[in-house]
Formats: sequence, structure tokens, C-alpha cells
Amino acid sequence: MDAVSVNTVPGGALHVVLRGEIDFTNSAWVRKVICDAVAEQRPPAVRVEMAEVAFLDSSGIGMLVDVMRAAGEADAAFRVEHPTSRVYDQLRTAGLLAAFGLP
Amino acid sequence: MEPEQDYLRRLADIDARVEQARADPEVVLGRAAGLLAGRTGCRVDEAHAHLLRLAAEREGDVGKTAADVLAALEGGRTPHEPDRLRAMTDTVLRTPSRDRHPQPPGPGHLPGPAVAPGPAVAPGPAVPPGNGSPPVGSGWADIVQQVLDAVPGSHTALMPVRDRAGRIEDYVFAAVSPSVVDLSGRRGTQIVGRRMSETYPTIVNGPVWEIWEKSIADGLPREVGPVPYVSPSDRAPAGVTFTVRVQPVGPGLLNSWIRHDEEARLAERIDQTERLGNLGWGEWDLITGDIVWSEGLYRIYERDPADGPMPSAESDALTVPEDVPLRQQAVEMFGRGQTVDVSYRIRVSGRIKHIRTIVDAVRGTDGRPVRIYGIVQDVTAGETSRAKLAEVEQQLREHQRSLAAEHRLAVQLQQIVLPIPETPFDLAGLRVAVRYLPAEKASQVGGDWYHAAAAGDGSVVLAVGDVAGHGLQAAAAMAQLRHAMAALAVTTTSDPAELLTHLNRLLYTARSAAEPMPVTATAVVARYDPPTGALRWAQAGHPAPLRARAGVTVELDRPEGPLLGAFPGARYDTATVTFVPGDLLLFYTDGLIEHRDRTLEEGLAPIVATLDRVSGEHNQQPLAELLSQLRHANPDDDACILAARPLPAVTGRGGGDG
Repeated sequence: MDAVSVNTVPGGALHVVLRGEIDFTNSAWVRKVICDAVAEQRPPAVRVEMAEVAFLDSSGIGMLVDVMRAAGEADAAFRVEHPTSRVYDQLRTAGLLAAFGLP
Repeated sequence: MEPEQDYLRRLADIDARVEQARADPEVVLGRAAGLLAGRTGCRVDEAHAHLLRLAAEREGDVGKTAADVLAALEGGRTPHEPDRLRAMTDTVLRTPSRDRHPQPPGPGHLPGPAVAPGPAVAPGPAVPPGNGSPPVGSGWADIVQQVLDAVPGSHTALMPVRDRAGRIEDYVFAAVSPSVVDLSGRRGTQIVGRRMSETYPTIVNGPVWEIWEKSIADGLPREVGPVPYVSPSDRAPAGVTFTVRVQPVGPGLLNSWIRHDEEARLAERIDQTERLGNLGWGEWDLITGDIVWSEGLYRIYERDPADGPMPSAESDALTVPEDVPLRQQAVEMFGRGQTVDVSYRIRVSGRIKHIRTIVDAVRGTDGRPVRIYGIVQDVTAGETSRAKLAEVEQQLREHQRSLAAEHRLAVQLQQIVLPIPETPFDLAGLRVAVRYLPAEKASQVGGDWYHAAAAGDGSVVLAVGDVAGHGLQAAAAMAQLRHAMAALAVTTTSDPAELLTHLNRLLYTARSAAEPMPVTATAVVARYDPPTGALRWAQAGHPAPLRARAGVTVELDRPEGPLLGAFPGARYDTATVTFVPGDLLLFYTDGLIEHRDRTLEEGLAPIVATLDRVSGEHNQQPLAELLSQLRHANPDDDACILAARPLPAVTGRGGGDG
């Protein structure tokens, strides 16, 4: 199963599913896949499903930040959904909860 | 046209192709070198060099020289005159004439079959010496054996054995087809000369036995079956039935055994084998001119079976030009009577296929081919994956080389930008120690950094930071942040929140420039005011520092602040704690605690335990003690640790080194 898959859901939102470990080995590629889709489809919203992400390193966090910026530049709402408690802690430490639409 | 003439023409064609292949200078040189090496006992490459020298001395063509050497070494090899060929053809095509074996064979000896032993012909039968069976040494048995050796199928020739009264009491196997393998696994050669009653006792007085008696009596052919085969051997499969055709021949009987499931079984087996192995086989009967292709061969050549086998000129033309010499060599090998095993590429429907072909021939007594068999295997999948593997390996090697180079550069950059002091050092009212734990893997030099220096206003600024990612880009961003930090702390502000605001703006702006992978970073910055012992600090997406006091370690409550480089207008709050002599303060980057198999709490626990212990003991050198005991959780990531303790105001430079 790929670390990332991108689908367009009814209503036009880009639904990104991340899986497994997102780290320095794959985050550049994952970023490209998502940013290319954002640039191509200009969706009204980008939702990143993270329930299946077991581990995220600083490169992975950097990747999410960049996707958020790409979404912002495309005037798309950006939201991260269902992070595991561990990933949630990491995002809280990074100070990204509010920007990622997380409580 | 007479079959003999057709056959001669086909042989002549093959000869012409072999001669053409032989004329290929490379082939000639190779053969001459090989032969020379064999005769003289030197190595082939030496012989090769010798031939080249010889050609140079004679100022002649290498191919010509090699051909001359070959001619000299091979000596008597003469071209086949048509007359001789015709004579040979006769022997192959016609029933062996009696005068080929003018002497009636003696007991215990059977002459060889009409077709001389060749690679694809089973050896002729022979009665094992001293097996005590009655000798079948009649001329009849000899001739029948020769016939059976020449015709396809499974046949046995039986000679009745009579008692004194002339009644048939048993049969002896006089001749057996070489292809016969009975259901117990015995071959024809193991059966010849044996009695029926001892070899197949279940036959005795059965339905087959009865018609043998009748046919011997009236000389008429009969057929019986299907009859079930019942074997005393456990190895024989159950439920096999046969039809036996019985034909009286001379004094004996010729039996043709047709196994009922045989044809379907063989066809199924061949088809499965071909599919599983990407195999095909072809057969060229030089006498009849018939070419037969199997289903698999049609599949490999992607040809409709309705179109029949491809003419050889057409299939030859599919060979990719670079591999034509391989085929030439193969033809030459075939000409020398060797089994050919050659791999080459063909272009079928615009795609390249890798083909391994094994060619052998049934040869006449003179070595002339009578029938040519080829087994063809499509080995493209293996070749393709092998080629892909080699390509990936090559990429991997290049990647590793570039990674190694990048690692060296990143290490150098880090050593220049971030020299790590080996021993603790003092700043105004503080003793500070730093340790850098590099990632174990070469490619993963990170972007961790620290800062510990007096600010322009008499305070001390401490910081650690971590640039996301690894390698050169992270190291470059680290250098940028660290230098900016040092400059800002001296010239602009010692306020942690302001410092982070500046760094964030710096990184955010750098990201907008066309970086391939934009950079984020985290950092924690603290300002220590020696007169008051106040530690004011801020963080940008970074783990909080740990403060240990008398055996109790706390993680400081974090003021708000997102990581650097994410938001253009990010705000950083500050918090203030007291920091007094006896306390230990630890800043770290997440490589110290982060591990993909553990939670952050689990990663932090051993660090806290070490801090508890060191701060609870009365230690002259707590910083050195602390840093020597910390190990980073994640060998994949680097980690930077900065530990500090306030120096007692009255004693100034007192205390130990740590």
C-alpha cells in the first residue's frame, strides 16, 4: 500500500490518505504527489486523513506544513483528520493544531 | 521427387549453412585456437595470441590463417561426395539389409540397432550378461529389434517357448522398442531375453495370453482390449487399460501396446510443461521435410497455429542483428555434431524476446542428421528482471555514492558551523556543556544546532534547534539559523520571543525562494539573567526544556509558539522560571527521545530518570556526569543536548569542571 493516495470526493474536495511511516525517506515524494494534485485540481478543500499514520518525523511535519501552504496559495481550506494520539501530540508540540483544524 | 533427393537437398542446405557459419572469421579463429590449444596443451588465449602473431608474420588475413591452421589440424576432413551420401541415405532409409550383419550373432549378444547410437537415440538393447535367461540369439530377433529401434511406438516381439510336447508354455521377449518403459519402470533393455511368466505373471492365461495362442495357431492378427493392467508392483498406477494389437511375424508375435490414456496424458503433460516453463518445441524431419511446432512454440513466436510453422528463413530474420553471430556459432556447433544450447534475442510483434534454444538431432550411422529437434524457451521474464535488477543496483550505487559525498560535505559544514566544545565552559553565572550525538547512518546528518553565548545586555542566551530533514539542505538551513541567532542576540534583542519571531520570518522567507523541499525548523530559546536567576524562555514547536532540582525533574510548561517557517505572522509567547544553583537545565532535540516504536513519554522516561539521579546526588561535575549518561533513543536521527547549571554567585569560578 502506498504511503499516500489522493482522491477527489463529491463536492470537489481533495481527500488525501496517508499511511504507515511518513519520514525523511518518503516525505519529499508524498509532498510532490499532494502538491501536484492541488495545483492541478484547484480543489476548494484539502483533507488529510491520518488515522493510518503510525509515525511522523520532522520531515513529515514539514511536508504537512508545505501542503498547508500550497492549499492556502490555492485558496483551499486545509484540514488534518483523525491523527493517532501520538501524531496528535507531535502536532501539538509543533504548534500546528489550530492551523490543521484540530481541537 | 524421390524422398532421398529431398533429404539430400535438405542436408545440402544444412551443410551450406554450417559451412557459412564456419567461414565466419570469428568462428574460424575460435575453433582454430581451441583445436591448437588442445593439440599443444597450451591455454586457449595463448593459442589465440599465437594465431594473431602468425597472421601478422604472414602479413595475411587472420581468418585465412586460422582456416589454414584448421585445415592442417583437422587433416582428413573431406567434403561429402554425393555418392557416399547416397549410400548413407540408403542405410538410413531402408530396412537394414541382412548383409550389414553377415555373421549370425552368438548367444548372449544382440547387434546394435540400425540407427547408430547418437545423443537422441536410446542405446540398443543388450541382454545383461549372465542373467540365465534363454538366449534369443536368432536372426529373427535381431532383425525385429532393428525394426523396433527404427519405428516409433511401444512394441514387443515375443517368441513362443514350447515344452517337449510342442505346446506353448511361455513366451520370451525377443525384442523390445527402446522407448518401452513398463509401469514398473523397467526399460526395454531390462526385459529382452526374459520370460513372460516371470516378468508379467499376471498376463499368464489372461485374455492377451489366449489370443497369442490363437494367432500363433492361425497366423492371423488380432486385437484385444481395453484390458486392465494388473501389476504385482506397488509402483504401477491403478486403473490403466491397454489395447494390444497382435501381429504374427515369422516364428513369433509382434505386440503393439497402446495405453488408453496415453495420448491425452502426454498432450496434457506437454501443454502444462510448456505453459509453466514458457517452453515450445519444434521438430524437423529431414527425410519427409515435415516441420512440426508445438502449441508453446506458436505462443512464443505469437503465430497463429492455423498458419503452420514459420519457415526457417523467416524465423531467422527475427533475430536481432547483434545476436546473429551467436546463431552463427550455434550453427557451427551443430555442424560439429554437438548439442546446441544458445540464447539470443528475437523481435516479435515489436517486442524483444530472449530465447534459449537447445537443438539436437537424431543422426544416422555416419553422423548425418536425420531429424532435428529444438526446444525453445522464452526467458524474457528472467532476462528482463535481471536487467532491471542490474539497473536498480547501478542506481543504488550511484545514489550511495552521492549520499556519501553529501554526508561528507554535511559533516564538514557542521564542523565548521557548529564546533562542539569538548568540555564544559562558563558564561556569566552559568556553566554550560554541549553534546552532539550524530545519527548512526551516514546519510542522516541532521540540522541540529545550539547556541550558548553572552548577549549584548549582560544576559546569556541559550538555544537548541532542529531543522526538519537530513543532509546538506538541512545543514545549510541550520547554519543560516545559527548565525542569524548569534548576530541577533548581540545586536538586536535577547528576548526569546523576539528572537524566534525573527528566525521564523527568516525561514519563512527562505522557503518562498524556489527551494526543492521547503524547510521548517523547531527551536527553544532561553535568556538567563544572572542577577535575578530568572530564566525567560520561548519555543517554536520544540519540546520543553527539563529542569531538575534535588532529584526531581519537571518538563517546563510550554508557552505557545508554532514551528519556524510555517506561518508568516507567527506569535511566540514566553514563560519565566527560576533557575538557581543546584538546578540542572537540559535542552534537547527530539532525536534524544523520539523513536518510531515508542511514545514520546517512553522516550523521555530514561532521560528524566538520569536527571533525577544526577541532580539528587552530590556531584562535583554534574554536567559531565549527565552528558556521559545520556544516549539517544533513535539511531536514525541526530540529537543535540545542551545542559546548564547556575554557578554559585559568591564562589565565582569555584566548583568542579562539570
